[in-house]
Amino acid sequence: MLNTLNVVRLLPELILLVTALVVIFVDLYARRRTALWLLPGVSIAGLVLAFVAAFAQWGAQEVVAGTLAADSFAFYFKLVAAVTVVLVILASVRYMRERTRFLGEFYAFLLVATLAVFVAVSATDLITVYLGLETLSIVSYVLTGFLRDDKRSNEAAIKYFLYGAVASAIMLYGFSLLYGLTGTTDLAEIARRLQAGDVLANLEWVAWPAVILAAVGFAFKASLVPFHQWAPDAYEGAPTPVTMFLSTVSKATGFAVMARVFLTAMPSLGEYWMALLYGLAILTMTVGNLIALRQTSVKRMLAYSSIAHAGFILMGLVAVTAPAGGHPFNGLDGVLMYVVAYAFTNAGAFAVVAAVEDGTGDATLDNFAGLIARAPFLAAAMLIFLLSLAGVPPLAGFAAKLFVFAPVVRQEYYALAVVALVNAVVAAGYYLKVVKQMFFVEVPERPAFAVARGMRWALWLMIIGVFGVGIFMNWFAFMSVRSAAGMLGL
Amino acid sequence: MLNTYAVIGLYALVALTFPFIVLLFARLVRPSKPNPLKNSTYECGMETIGDTWVQFRAQYYLFALVFVVFDVEVVFLYPWAVAYGKLGLFALVEMALFIGLLAVALVYAWRKGILEWQ
Repeated sequence: MLNTLNVVRLLPELILLVTALVVIFVDLYARRRTALWLLPGVSIAGLVLAFVAAFAQWGAQEVVAGTLAADSFAFYFKLVAAVTVVLVILASVRYMRERTRFLGEFYAFLLVATLAVFVAVSATDLITVYLGLETLSIVSYVLTGFLRDDKRSNEAAIKYFLYGAVASAIMLYGFSLLYGLTGTTDLAEIARRLQAGDVLANLEWVAWPAVILAAVGFAFKASLVPFHQWAPDAYEGAPTPVTMFLSTVSKATGFAVMARVFLTAMPSLGEYWMALLYGLAILTMTVGNLIALRQTSVKRMLAYSSIAHAGFILMGLVAVTAPAGGHPFNGLDGVLMYVVAYAFTNAGAFAVVAAVEDGTGDATLDNFAGLIARAPFLAAAMLIFLLSLAGVPPLAGFAAKLFVFAPVVRQEYYALAVVALVNAVVAAGYYLKVVKQMFFVEVPERPAFAVARGMRWALWLMIIGVFGVGIFMNWFAFMSVRSAAGMLGL
Repeated sequence: MLNTYAVIGLYALVALTFPFIVLLFARLVRPSKPNPLKNSTYECGMETIGDTWVQFRAQYYLFALVFVVFDVEVVFLYPWAVAYGKLGLFALVEMALFIGLLAVALVYAWRKGILEWQ
């Protein structure tokens, strides 16, 4: 049995597990002064090692132990997750130190959440998919409610938990229907048995609910409308570094799992899930943007904007095709491009929010007034992130939008393209509202404030990332196209 | 196909009605001679002391959680031990990892002082 288990392929996961354990022991045995820098240090070291282990194996194509795919698609998401969590940790050093005594648990939970993401994005079996998503969910509930004395943090966790439990149950029901249809939980085997013919001929009426119910679980993780209600409250109430994690890594995992399950297990049901996702994409971006327009808290506005962006990411999946020769713009590469661009951009925007919260106590739009005079670096960083969110070249957001719009237009989904275009303009409106507040509203009496060192590093890295993805678009496109190719059978 | 479901339906019907039949039958055949002493509430043969609606300490919850560590461990150890001869080295390593991870949970609880009654 051991010889069929290629342990090297699981190295990123193993590294994360060991790191989480080391973090727990550091928390138990190190003195508090040492722990303050050792905990984030060990966590980041583990994530960097996991990143290297995943990067070295990018390009592999095999299934480990029958349940975990070691393919470029999975490794791509692992790379994005590892980088983003490093940024989250850098941004949380001071933020969490001032708000909780349970620092060891915080970093251990972040690492375990990342491990769950690693499992979920490579799962090739419905049971493993569920295992990954559920572990991620449970850890996310804890992280959301991490500030025990903060009422809003607790409220956010309870709401997230209740929605999550229901979504999980519904998703499992969908899985059980799929299992009932095909008699297997292996994704590739499901596809074979669905294509075999007589299953769908006799039981096509079961396929529709199976697709919808399974999609509910993924849509919940990716916070698509109408399964988004938990998101604004959870994003706003959670400690801001956790919001960085939820709105980027956790959301990307939803899309990764959705893409893998739909593309590997249900290519023959394509017309069903593509129609479903088409509707969800339009609904998600429109509702997210319209509600974001009226927010007075920047954190909450970004939460709704994050919902709207999920709609844009979904466009790639709606327009997914397998063009001859493995050319770019196959839709799935758009999802991958968007995920990496969005990870830097949105994590960056939330990091600025965390820094402003640290400096002024709250992240209301009013507290952003005249930020250029009080914390020029923060204001400049926020400007870059907001422009990237709006999709201005040469920033990451532009590259991402290019790669999701192109396949949609090529597939001639003009209605979707037009709706998305209008939405992009609407979104630019409320992003610029923040810019105006930061640069053109003067409030002389407010004091300047400094930015913590870890946060400054994180912001610099994210600024480099936002410019990097935009300027070295070709390289990222190459990675995305190659990572998507295996999934599309190219 | 339908036949198999009919069997399940029949089984469900029997399972649902059986408790009622038993309770009804017991009520019909048993003697009924109540007296005040018989009807009073008691606990371990004694009259209850104090109010039943006391609040339990939240610390019991932590103990219950730590108990789960051993509980789950035993649940998995038994089948493993029974099938040990067939499973071989791979299962031994796997079980060692499993117990190791659970041990971390125990060490954590111990160091954090959860096992100390306050």
